[in-house]
Amino acid sequence: MIHKFLSEIAYKMPDKVAVIQGKRCVTYGDLYLGVSRLAAFLLDRGVQVSDRVAIMILNSPEYIISYLGVQQAGGISVALNPQYSAYELKKIFDNCLPDVLVVERKYLKAVMKTIDNGTSLKTLIIVDSQGMKGPSLISNKKEKVISGISCFNLQDILKNAKNENTYPAITEKDIASIHYTSGTTGEPKGVMLSHSNFITNANSIIKYLNLTEDDRAMVVLPFYYSYGTSVLTTHIKVCGSLVLENSFMYPNVVLDKMVEEEVTGFAGVPSTFAILLNRSNIRNYSFSKLRYVTQAGGPMPPGHTRELAEILSDTEIYIMYGQTEATARLTYLPPEDLLKRPGSIGKPVPAVEIELIKTKDVEEKEIVCTGGNVMVGYWNDPEETKKVLRGGRLYTGDTARMDDEGYLYIVGRKSDMIKSGAHRISPKEIEEIILEMPEVHEAAVVGIEDEVMGESIKAVIVLKDGLKMEAKKVQKHCMQKLAPFKIPKEVVFVKDYPRTSSGKVQKHLLKTPQKVTGHKLI
Amino acid sequence: MTEVIMDSITRIIKNFILENFLFGADEDALGHDDSFLEKGIIDSTGVLELVSFIEEEFSISVGDEELIPENLDSVNILARFIKRKQESNPE
Repeated sequence: MIHKFLSEIAYKMPDKVAVIQGKRCVTYGDLYLGVSRLAAFLLDRGVQVSDRVAIMILNSPEYIISYLGVQQAGGISVALNPQYSAYELKKIFDNCLPDVLVVERKYLKAVMKTIDNGTSLKTLIIVDSQGMKGPSLISNKKEKVISGISCFNLQDILKNAKNENTYPAITEKDIASIHYTSGTTGEPKGVMLSHSNFITNANSIIKYLNLTEDDRAMVVLPFYYSYGTSVLTTHIKVCGSLVLENSFMYPNVVLDKMVEEEVTGFAGVPSTFAILLNRSNIRNYSFSKLRYVTQAGGPMPPGHTRELAEILSDTEIYIMYGQTEATARLTYLPPEDLLKRPGSIGKPVPAVEIELIKTKDVEEKEIVCTGGNVMVGYWNDPEETKKVLRGGRLYTGDTARMDDEGYLYIVGRKSDMIKSGAHRISPKEIEEIILEMPEVHEAAVVGIEDEVMGESIKAVIVLKDGLKMEAKKVQKHCMQKLAPFKIPKEVVFVKDYPRTSSGKVQKHLLKTPQKVTGHKLI
Repeated sequence: MTEVIMDSITRIIKNFILENFLFGADEDALGHDDSFLEKGIIDSTGVLELVSFIEEEFSISVGDEELIPENLDSVNILARFIKRKQESNPE
């Protein structure tokens, strides 16, 4: 288990730097002390094996302490995007019924609204960002109760809790974490990942990236998504270091830090590299220590791949593919094949087997995989689990072809999930919100090509007869219930959709205005 | 006069952000000294949209090396940056 690796490293190399963020430098000893104290506190609060603890914190030492502290106490970490609205949080909380929430103070607004609507929460642990002061929700030392929920401050817990030496007995098969991912039904699905899933996939990644204790990764991707989690778990397992930068909106700040901290690795999604190539000074930097760069989270335009390879000519670039249901990683393309096999996602990572299987729904073959990294299932959702886990194999929903030498190339996706930046977004979820507006008759949401984001969100709406509406009104309505990254960038109004003979909306024709033929825009 | 110009610049910036990132929220949803980064008002692609807007609106050019918090990270900081750019390159 990852937290066990942490305890071993903390014993052998307590002064080794684990995390750097701004001017903060946290050693493995510090990290493990935090993890132990939080675990002790949670056990004291009555957290039992498999109890869920939700976490809403940006990348930070406090995130890592919370994520692993929960697992040390035998609980299940449920790391969430802190941008979630009260509406989204309620759906997730109703699904996983967490007893405890660890949340940064600045995200309390949505949380308090969720609490007002009724939750399972018994304990709230508030995290104050370094150097920031907020309104006094709780007093410093004593427990305060709000709406029946006991509130504490994480910094106080880490200072005052006892060091516990006895932890519940858990096995590698026990669930370590639930990662929520968007589903085609519009309801979020909780991917259950065991300790064994994390260890297996971490070992695979460590092997092909040749990660060692000398590696130091720059982290701009959020830990609460599986790609970010894989960077965290692999670097802890090899006793490497993590340099955290949450300010990628200013890419040159990140690049400066990469040079200053002599970073050896960098992970990004296509939009990360689009921003670096289009609006940063990357061409004027020299990264003498940058050994490798990884790219996953959707296809990167071949032109960007070539440009990146030219700029980072001394750095190995790994294109990778995977999904949350596979812990993170399923395939990788060795750097030496990058320019020889453009568009390929490579071959299976160690300990994963992949088949391409023809399924009845689609023309192409679907990627189906087996391995110790395949999820346990969806939390509390045996029906959805059965759709993707059959005979011990994970049906990914992605279609692909294989060349004569076994290299895979993605052809498409069975589902219409939108991949925008690092996010996977369910069109149905957004459609349901838009349909709440009384002026709306029908709503169809699609992903359209975006040079930076991979895909951006477009809503195509049919209004009720005689009614008019502005796009901004739709966006404002969505903002009330959805996280900012789910707000449609483009909103158009049509008289009707292109449909099949059975009346089904032909969504692929909505992706460009030219495809909406014969249907006038209002 | 300078104060009037600065007021005008901050108003234009604030209106753009309220309209495009906060979707018509009230004026008091965005303070002139609120950090876009700390408050999570704008993400990494939003910054590119903001920069495109100010380049067109104020007839300035923003270099890649100028995409740093010291130039962009609040309404007031951004307004001062725009003013400096205009003064150093008057049309």
